[in-house]
Amino acid sequence: MAEEKPRGAENKMASPNASNDFSLQGKSALVVGAEHPVGRAAAVALAEAGARLVLASQEPGTDKQLKEVAKLVSAAGTKPVIRVQDAATRADVSATADLAAKEFGGLHILVNALDTPAWGPAEAIDDTAFDKIIENNLKTVWMACQEGARVMLRQGSGAIVNITSVLAERGVANAALYCAAKAAVLNLTRALALEWARKGIRVNAIEAGWLDDESSPAKGGGEFSKTLLKYLPDNRLVKPEELGGALLYLVSPAAGFVTGESIAVDGALLARV
Amino acid sequence: MILDSLKLDGKVAIITGAGRGLGRAMAVKMAEMGADIVAAARTQAQLDETADAVKKTGRKCIVVPTDVTVSAQVNALADATVRQFGKIDILVNNAGGGDGGRPKQLPEITDDEWRRGIDTNLSSQFYGCRAVIPQMVKQNRGKIINIASGYGLRGGKQNFMYACAKGGVVQLTRSMALSYAQFNIQTNCIVPGFFPHNEAAMERFKGGKFIPLGRGGEDSELGPLAVFLASDASNHINGELVVIDGGGLAGGIAPTGVSPENTN
Repeated sequence: MAEEKPRGAENKMASPNASNDFSLQGKSALVVGAEHPVGRAAAVALAEAGARLVLASQEPGTDKQLKEVAKLVSAAGTKPVIRVQDAATRADVSATADLAAKEFGGLHILVNALDTPAWGPAEAIDDTAFDKIIENNLKTVWMACQEGARVMLRQGSGAIVNITSVLAERGVANAALYCAAKAAVLNLTRALALEWARKGIRVNAIEAGWLDDESSPAKGGGEFSKTLLKYLPDNRLVKPEELGGALLYLVSPAAGFVTGESIAVDGALLARV
Repeated sequence: MILDSLKLDGKVAIITGAGRGLGRAMAVKMAEMGADIVAAARTQAQLDETADAVKKTGRKCIVVPTDVTVSAQVNALADATVRQFGKIDILVNNAGGGDGGRPKQLPEITDDEWRRGIDTNLSSQFYGCRAVIPQMVKQNRGKIINIASGYGLRGGKQNFMYACAKGGVVQLTRSMALSYAQFNIQTNCIVPGFFPHNEAAMERFKGGKFIPLGRGGEDSELGPLAVFLASDASNHINGELVVIDGGGLAGGIAPTGVSPENTN
């Protein structure tokens, strides 16, 4: 064994090139669904890495929530542009993409944190509810990808990340349509990645594990949440901020050879039987 | 601050197969991000070149000539690391290799070739995990990165040993993740696609035209992914496969580069 004597440089020394691969300095990003905890965490992560942001909502009437997120983003980086919109209305989404492009002279990053959970027995879902669940969880993502890509195709570059869920890969009772919509987002990601691969746009996904979010049945405190916690490999829920690393990797120049991929942030949940 | 969570300052990383190609690229990039490197491979001369490249970043590098198919040598690699640095933060199980020559018809594959291939590509990674786990459990902290292949997830003609071994690596990753999650040890798997290392490979694979992005990967592109999976930025990612293949595995039901016609 050949051993090398340490020379001067100590471990504590900061590494000079440390963050270049993952830096988003000079990049502009649009986060759709920024009023949600996951959207908020995504926005803060992107801002910390140096991106300038447009924060767009999923639902109208979310001015207050977006302003709160904007404060966090300002503290982490630069002041964002706020855009309260209905992510299920084509004209809104189209105008949002144009706004982002106009504001920053282009759009490099699109993060879709669109999510409206729907829990309940299958037999209780009527056709109106079907349309709504699919619209909230799939059509919104589809439209945001289309409108974001319209700008990105023009400039010949871009990175899109769709945030979906581990429910995309496994079934769970009382969430049939929600699971179906989440799976649809995953495969939408793959197909769009192939379609735009040679046009400069990478499309990837993040699958979030059971989130530490007040609205989640995982936080219900009843039998389901208690049993679930025991089932999770590390016995805890995922904090929205924990998606930040995977998001930053996927949108950064460092992931230039990664497209059509999804990264699960789930504490090994999908790895288990 | 998220960019800080991607730094590896003060970490110690063992990388097998570090004498060239992807292993060397990962070693150098992890060193750039602040890690000291323990470089293992069979060939001393290649390891020395890796060590020179690592030391240019200002980090320490020790080289440990190792045959990863011999478990005693892999154990010695872990011991040497602990002796030198007092800990093991990161293990990258990268050493491995394909069938070498031309793919063989099933009846032509000898027992010895099969065993040697499985030893090189699967047992080696098992030995690596087993060797570092006691120290990582003691630390209550660790990151293991296994390197698989698209052939670990999909089949290929006349591709028996390699596909079986890499499929085994995928499952090794999952079992490791579940077994050691409670010790704050994350085990993940990088699934590289086509990374050509010479003209012959480029020729054979027609420059990567079959890949959705239209090109093969550069060795340097693997580095940042290894850094991410070795860093605190991936602390809740465990048992996961991260595919870096220019979109290859996202497709696969139609040839790349052509699209179904619009029949409307």
